[in-house]
Amino acid sequence: MEILFRMTQAMSVFVVIAYIYCKSPLFKSLTADAITARDRIYLYLVFSSLSILGTYLGVPVHDAIANTRAIGPVLAGIIGGPILGTAVGLTGGLHRYSLGGFTAFSCGLATILAGMIGGGVHWHLSRRNRSEHLFDPKIAFLAAFGAEILEMAVILIISRPYDNAVTLVKVIAVPMIASNAAGAALFMSIIRDQKNMADRIAAVSSAKAFKIAERTLNILARGINGETAVALAKIIHQETGVGAVAITDREKVIAFIGEGSDHHEPGNPIASPLTITAIQENRVLFAAGTRERYHCPLSDDCPLNSVLVVPLHIDNDVIGTIQLFEPKNRRFLNMNKTLGEGITRLLSNQLLLSRYEMQKNLLVQSELKLLQAQVNPHFLFNSLNTIIAVLRIDAVRCKDLLIHLSNFFRKNLKRANDLSTLAEELDHVNSYLQIEKARYDDRLAVEIDIDPSLLKMILPTFTLQPLVENAFKHGISHTMGQGIARIKAFRTDGRAFIEIEDNAGVFHEKEMEDGHGIKIVDKRLKGHFGSHSGVTISCVPHEVTRVTVQIPMESHAS
Amino acid sequence: MMRALIVDDEIYARQEMEAMLNETGEFLVAGKCANALEAIRAINKERPDVLFLDVQMPVINGFELLGMIDESLMPAVVFVTAYDEYALKAFEENALDYLLKPVEKERLLKTVEKLKRRFTEDDKPVFTGPDIKKIPCIHSAKIKLINTADVEYVRSGDGGVYVICPNGEFYTELTLQILENKTNLLRCHKQYLINIDLVDEILLRENMVAEIKTKSGRVVPVSRRYLRMLRERLLF
Repeated sequence: MEILFRMTQAMSVFVVIAYIYCKSPLFKSLTADAITARDRIYLYLVFSSLSILGTYLGVPVHDAIANTRAIGPVLAGIIGGPILGTAVGLTGGLHRYSLGGFTAFSCGLATILAGMIGGGVHWHLSRRNRSEHLFDPKIAFLAAFGAEILEMAVILIISRPYDNAVTLVKVIAVPMIASNAAGAALFMSIIRDQKNMADRIAAVSSAKAFKIAERTLNILARGINGETAVALAKIIHQETGVGAVAITDREKVIAFIGEGSDHHEPGNPIASPLTITAIQENRVLFAAGTRERYHCPLSDDCPLNSVLVVPLHIDNDVIGTIQLFEPKNRRFLNMNKTLGEGITRLLSNQLLLSRYEMQKNLLVQSELKLLQAQVNPHFLFNSLNTIIAVLRIDAVRCKDLLIHLSNFFRKNLKRANDLSTLAEELDHVNSYLQIEKARYDDRLAVEIDIDPSLLKMILPTFTLQPLVENAFKHGISHTMGQGIARIKAFRTDGRAFIEIEDNAGVFHEKEMEDGHGIKIVDKRLKGHFGSHSGVTISCVPHEVTRVTVQIPMESHAS
Repeated sequence: MMRALIVDDEIYARQEMEAMLNETGEFLVAGKCANALEAIRAINKERPDVLFLDVQMPVINGFELLGMIDESLMPAVVFVTAYDEYALKAFEENALDYLLKPVEKERLLKTVEKLKRRFTEDDKPVFTGPDIKKIPCIHSAKIKLINTADVEYVRSGDGGVYVICPNGEFYTELTLQILENKTNLLRCHKQYLINIDLVDEILLRENMVAEIKTKSGRVVPVSRRYLRMLRERLLF
């Protein structure tokens, strides 16, 4: 009975050690997802010490020691695997062997076996993909229980004289089995709780980070301005629960939410030296409120005491800061610090992305502008030449052609981001066609067949004209015989199709490259109607080139 | 009066040019052509003094056309184009002048002066033109461009010049002389050009004449005069 009591004392020491261990930096090696070689060394040191300590805390009984030495190797084996378990067992075992006594060899051997049992459990669980049970106290209990029974058996088998061994086992079996098993289970349950807590904190903060990210990304797609900055600051304030949140650009505060908003007002120039330094040096600055404090430059009564200043940048240019404040009576949580930095990094990336998107749109617009500006000089001068020639024969027709030419140029000057109806697009194209028909009076036929119900369909301006011009520039003007151009618009299967055909059957791959008319039309259609719309080209050499515009009908109510 | 030929793929451009040439009183318009093939035919038939030539035309452009004109028939050339991106190239091709559409009357009168000077000095224009890589042929009312590498031989006869390929015979407006000068086809007979790359065997006959068998089995005569040149060329 006394032995059991003494052993419970020893076990209590272990529990205290377990608690201290969990609070120490060494414990980090267990919270990581993958155990590194370095972590293994730490584990080896911790559990070997535990094993040796178990021997020293033991109770001398009949020239032997009733002890809790097995806890170290069993736990090391379960947590770190067979190699670590055996290594710890070997260390504890050799140490025990060096102390002598008639059970020196058998106890030493049993300690090694205890490590192997722990390792066996680890191996078994890992192989069955049930590693989550590694930190289960029940498993630790059973493993230590088994290891101790084995130890008793080893003593009986190896230690001589046999009678002494029997007497010893009778005395120590129950207390040792009970205390080692209970100790291992308790130790493991403390480790598990601590580990779970670390996991939970990580889970909470990442959930928070995701939530902030989700809520802010949409806002930020519109870029940073006074309105979005306020919305952004509100979200960060709500989600982190810090005292106050400020967003600044390079010169002034653009949003301030939370405590101290009575004197921290949007529009104020940046006054805090911390912010100025953060912007100038493009680095994160933190005043924890203890040694370094935040001194409000505006009011002595300001409750704010600690601050985190994170620069917001696009590429390497600082465009402003995001700041998190806590008042005097609250500690600035480490979690919020990490969160603040992470969110700002995320927002910076998002800003970069939205700038990229904007530039891409600008590029398409300017490509189109360029295309319009590049009114084919051949077309212009040949048209004028034709009109001059027609003037000799038919003044009325000449006047018509001039009106078509001016209509064509007027439509060309329309703003590129406008939308037009199919009817307006056809009007533009018609002016162009009238002139081309005059130029190739003797050898050009134009056939137009439009489903009248599609005339009100909305299209990006300049969808049709570049395609028709292309049919002439790269198609009909390259044939010697009769040229035929066909323009059709019809609907099938809930989609609208516009086909532009020429009978030249010439198609150059480069027409679908960036910067070419067809490619730009395709990009703009996809930008407006989504990926189910666009331009496709088919070509039968020397017979027909067909350019097809496809638009899903449900995406616009006509 | 200078005999002028107008080549332009636009009908009103041709009409306008004709009207302006007539207004100067210096020209007799011998013909108007809508493409290069019509132009070659008209040049061979009408032998004009001056060509008013559009650069941008379907299939065969103005520069390529120049390479297809027999040197002995080469008229003076005035390029007429809507846009001046070809000006430099035009002068590289020894064009006499370069007019922009719409053509101004005063500008055209300067061209007339240049032409007159050219004809009083009587220096024949020299155009080298690009080599002919594709021979324009007429095939059942269509224009067919035949790669010179695909031609087995070319034959000239009463019906005109025919290009013979493994898959058939095609009529062309180009002369035997211009094809000999501007392609890698070799003269083997007064009326024949042969593509050495498609020769299967050369059968020597008596009297220093020979026959060439082409890869598709056609037989082409080799005259005494050209057999010697072929031998030198082929080292046999």
